[in-house]
Amino acid sequence: MTARTDPPRPSQPDGDDELLPCGRSLAEVWDLREQEKHDPHLEGCLHCRRAVDELAVLETSVRRLREQSSTAEAYDARALTHRIMDVVRLELRPGRPLPLGEPDEDLWIMESAAARTVRAAAETVRGVRAGSCRITLERLPGREAPLIDVRLEIHAPASAPLQDLAEQVRRSVLTAVDGTLGMVLNGIDIRITDLLDAADEPGEGTDR
Amino acid sequence: MNGTAHIDEVARAVLGVEGVAFLKPGVAQQVRSALAGTGRAGATRASGLRMSRSGGGGEGTWDVDVHIVVLGEARAVDVARGTRAAVAECLRRMFPETTAPARITVTVTGLL
Repeated sequence: MTARTDPPRPSQPDGDDELLPCGRSLAEVWDLREQEKHDPHLEGCLHCRRAVDELAVLETSVRRLREQSSTAEAYDARALTHRIMDVVRLELRPGRPLPLGEPDEDLWIMESAAARTVRAAAETVRGVRAGSCRITLERLPGREAPLIDVRLEIHAPASAPLQDLAEQVRRSVLTAVDGTLGMVLNGIDIRITDLLDAADEPGEGTDR
Repeated sequence: MNGTAHIDEVARAVLGVEGVAFLKPGVAQQVRSALAGTGRAGATRASGLRMSRSGGGGEGTWDVDVHIVVLGEARAVDVARGTRAAVAECLRRMFPETTAPARITVTVTGLL
């Protein structure tokens, strides 16, 4: 066991944070494509167009792979495809390392993976849609373990009692962060940023 | 046993830990390389597992950095602890003469 409490070094030059010859990162190009944002650079850049084509081929290949499997009928191919693509995205945009377990254990989890767990937990509460999730670290003098706080934005059903709903979300997130990750939180700040009409409300236990 | 064989051995130990799905770059890099037809042997595995030794002379401290993706049904911190224990045990087995404790960093980069 070591006493290292600083995050591990970030991505290496030979890591997955690939830089295209035009100077853009692969993650940035894929991100713009997924958000379907107008991108004038992409139209004129051979490298970016290739990167986007590559992502499309990857998605198609994953779907075909699932469909060709002899046991495909036992699984939801669409859900599996989403899960695999989620992992690909997390590898490209991992965020910062956050401490996991005790301070002297030198165990970490990438922010994007932890945030995904937080959002999924919030959406187990009926009618809730999770939005932006920020996880912050605060190091206090004389205290080895940093304080970890979650700031989560949600859209809530207009018909729900908001105080109770926020409390349900808080409990669900705390349970998931402890049970699924094993991370100790100092606090959770939940901000309701929009109210949804009944027609817009998502169902319970949305498959992400 | 050379450096690549050491990494192979430690990688096997990590993949044997309950709850570990794969070493970090498994999906993206491997599939992209396969699609492009430009697979680089060993690059995928080496990116998710880095080993170096400080001090030299075969007695220095091992510095091991492991990036893993964890299966959804497992608890991330438990898998990370299991991974560190597996790496430490593997190093003890491969280098019984080394007394300096290894510095092992485990990072969970994703959950399946």
